[in-house]
Amino acid sequence: MRFSGWRVLREGLTGNKGWRPHWRDPEPKSEYDVVIIGGGGHGLATAYYLAKEHGITNVAVLEKGYLGGGNVGRNTTIVRANYYLPGNSEFYSHSLRLWEGMEQDLNYNAMMSQRGIINLFHNDGQRDAAVRRGNSIVNQGDDAEILSREQVRELAPFLNFENNRFPIMGGLMQRRAGTARHDAVAWGFARGADMRGVDLIQNCEVTGIDVENGKVVGVQTARGPIRAKKVALAAAGRSGQVAAMAGLTLPIESHVLQAFVSEGLKPIVDHVITFAEGHLYISQSDKGGLVFGSYLDFYSSYAARGNLPMAEHTMESFVAMVPAVSKARLLRSWGGIMDMTPDGSPIIDHSPIDGLYLNCGWCYGGFKATPGSGSVYAHLIATDRPHGAATRFKLDRFRSGVGLMDEEGAGAQHNLH
Amino acid sequence: MAELIAKSPCDGLLPATIGGMSLTEEHPGAMWAIAPFNGQLKVLGKALEAAHGMAFPAPNRATGKAGSRAVWFGRDMALLMGPAPDAGLAKHAALTDQSDAWAVVRLEGQGAEDVLARLVPVDLRPQVFKRGHTARTELKHMMASVTRTGPQSFQIMVFRSMAKTLVHDLKTAMEAVAARG
Amino acid sequence: MRITCPLCGERDRREFYYKGAALVRPAEGADLDAWHEYVNLRENPAGPLDELWYHEMGCNSWLKVTRDTATHEILAVQLASEAGLGGEK
Ligand SMILES: Cc1cc2nc3c(=O)[nH]c(=O)nc-3n(C[C@H](O)[C@H](O)[C@H](O)COP(=O)(O)OP(=O)(O)OC[C@H]3O[C@@H](n4cnc5c(N)ncnc54)[C@H](O)[C@@H]3O)c2cc1C
Ligand SMILES: [Zn+2]
Repeated sequence: MRFSGWRVLREGLTGNKGWRPHWRDPEPKSEYDVVIIGGGGHGLATAYYLAKEHGITNVAVLEKGYLGGGNVGRNTTIVRANYYLPGNSEFYSHSLRLWEGMEQDLNYNAMMSQRGIINLFHNDGQRDAAVRRGNSIVNQGDDAEILSREQVRELAPFLNFENNRFPIMGGLMQRRAGTARHDAVAWGFARGADMRGVDLIQNCEVTGIDVENGKVVGVQTARGPIRAKKVALAAAGRSGQVAAMAGLTLPIESHVLQAFVSEGLKPIVDHVITFAEGHLYISQSDKGGLVFGSYLDFYSSYAARGNLPMAEHTMESFVAMVPAVSKARLLRSWGGIMDMTPDGSPIIDHSPIDGLYLNCGWCYGGFKATPGSGSVYAHLIATDRPHGAATRFKLDRFRSGVGLMDEEGAGAQHNLH
Repeated sequence: MAELIAKSPCDGLLPATIGGMSLTEEHPGAMWAIAPFNGQLKVLGKALEAAHGMAFPAPNRATGKAGSRAVWFGRDMALLMGPAPDAGLAKHAALTDQSDAWAVVRLEGQGAEDVLARLVPVDLRPQVFKRGHTARTELKHMMASVTRTGPQSFQIMVFRSMAKTLVHDLKTAMEAVAARG
Repeated sequence: MRITCPLCGERDRREFYYKGAALVRPAEGADLDAWHEYVNLRENPAGPLDELWYHEMGCNSWLKVTRDTATHEILAVQLASEAGLGGEK
């Protein structure tokens, strides 16, 4: 079933009777070449690229709940490639390029909107850092520009430019950044993988990983054992628990991050804007809701809900940045479980166990990574060599201290990134 | 040398009277932190009693009386308010002059608990928080010390640099409580 | 979430700063693997976890708190100085 304008027209004229489910609901087979644990954005994208780029289609994605019920459907949907450090820089650049072709590639409307991101700065030090980051982004081949205060005012007149503690001096803008409809991203990759023969198996929690003589041979699941030549972890916030099934301890803590949405308002915020106070980020959805978030709740958690002090802090930051928003009502809030690493950057690597692969540690930046992560992870699984855009996401960097990618210089503490 | 004019932290900000409640600045005199050395708590207690006529306060308690008080100020620490500490105490404890470091105000009148309930995440109702009780806590994100000094009165302290914010937050809460009638 | 500080009593989460898992600090001269484990690796359980919290807005004590990471229930609280986590004189 292909989607097109004609198709919409035809279905409209014939009572919309021709639409079919976007993917099958298969029974698990007893054996696969590759089993992927976790049907979030990364697991689904990995399955898609395994099939599309490497012709590996005897693949199952095992999801304990429903597709897209994890962080891929809980994030604030910001997509950008404005990282500074080598390792992250080329990877997110690769990922943003894939985003740009993704909807055509998948024949799926993910409502990718390159509305631009503006990172505000509030003092000379932050401006210097923004200029430096901007230059490095241009060097990596992406776009970045410094906006003066007046240029920011033109784009976003509703901001509080005179805040005593955080006066706005300007911003670092990346015009190719933006947002995408998160569920649609999961569904698009799911459909694309399914069409190429991948089995997407929901309600199928992995409960054990079978290892014989240092080599992975399969998994135990809620729907019975499944044998596999290769097993690929893509369980985001649950990575630590899944890895423990194979006897591995990861450099990961799970923390809860909240997101918030206001009632629907008329269009006002045309871009993604970040405020350096409280590291707040905002955008406006097509339905009119202001979508925003800030810090983690800071304590380890597997509860997909947050605490009020951080909700209060986030609202305070928002009101400091946009005083008018104090009149808006909050519609809803929720939480997701983040896999936090000690340097704030991810891991895409072999595990110490033969045939078991790791993709985890996305902290709160893994949505923008979705196509990039899927493509490089598929490459690693298919060829056993890292993809050129992801050579530095090594597991052993934490032990050796070589090649750490601590973007904010926060130090080795999981919850500070 | 120029004569510097001493100003109290809430100079020009207080007093204020709102809805039958009053907010005034306190001028407690000297303020010294007393932190007993390891294992010296008992001896220090005796020395404090002898020199200043008050016991070293247990956690969450204040001893002494108006004009000469020892307020528990955190783990293994009290704040002596009023007299400068007797030199002999230095044998048993680290003494630190904090006289100009804190803004001290007094909130008094019917409704004072309701005002604080809006700002402090601790139960300060009289049946739980009695005269002579004190708490290290936060007041609208500021590190604070709150002590009940009477049936309807509290001593409230934050760092001196936050005096204006303290007065603003307290007055805003007093107005809100008063508006409820 | 409310934590009962052994000194101050039951207090709101907002008065506390969170450090992370309460691990036994390696002895002086411990090897790379011991430090790697201490600094980086985490059991990260979905259930009871021993953690370090700091009563920043209260008495300034470091606390060892046992908390369920799935329900946020606080199961036990102790002064960190009495928890034998190493680093003593
Ligand atoms: C509130 C919030 C805001 C965010 N904002 C942004 C943002 O603006 N930009 C950005 O780039 N990133 C953002 N992120 C981060 C991003 O959402 C995640 O890093 C990314 O989605 C993680 O990858 P995933 O999609 O594969 O994860 P998930 O969707 O969580 O997928 C993992 C899946 O594994 C499944 N699973 C776990 N254990 C098992 C098991 N034992 N067996 C079978 N299945 C299992 C889970 O059920 C889940 O579906 C945000 C996250 C949150 C929570
Ligand atoms: Zn305490």
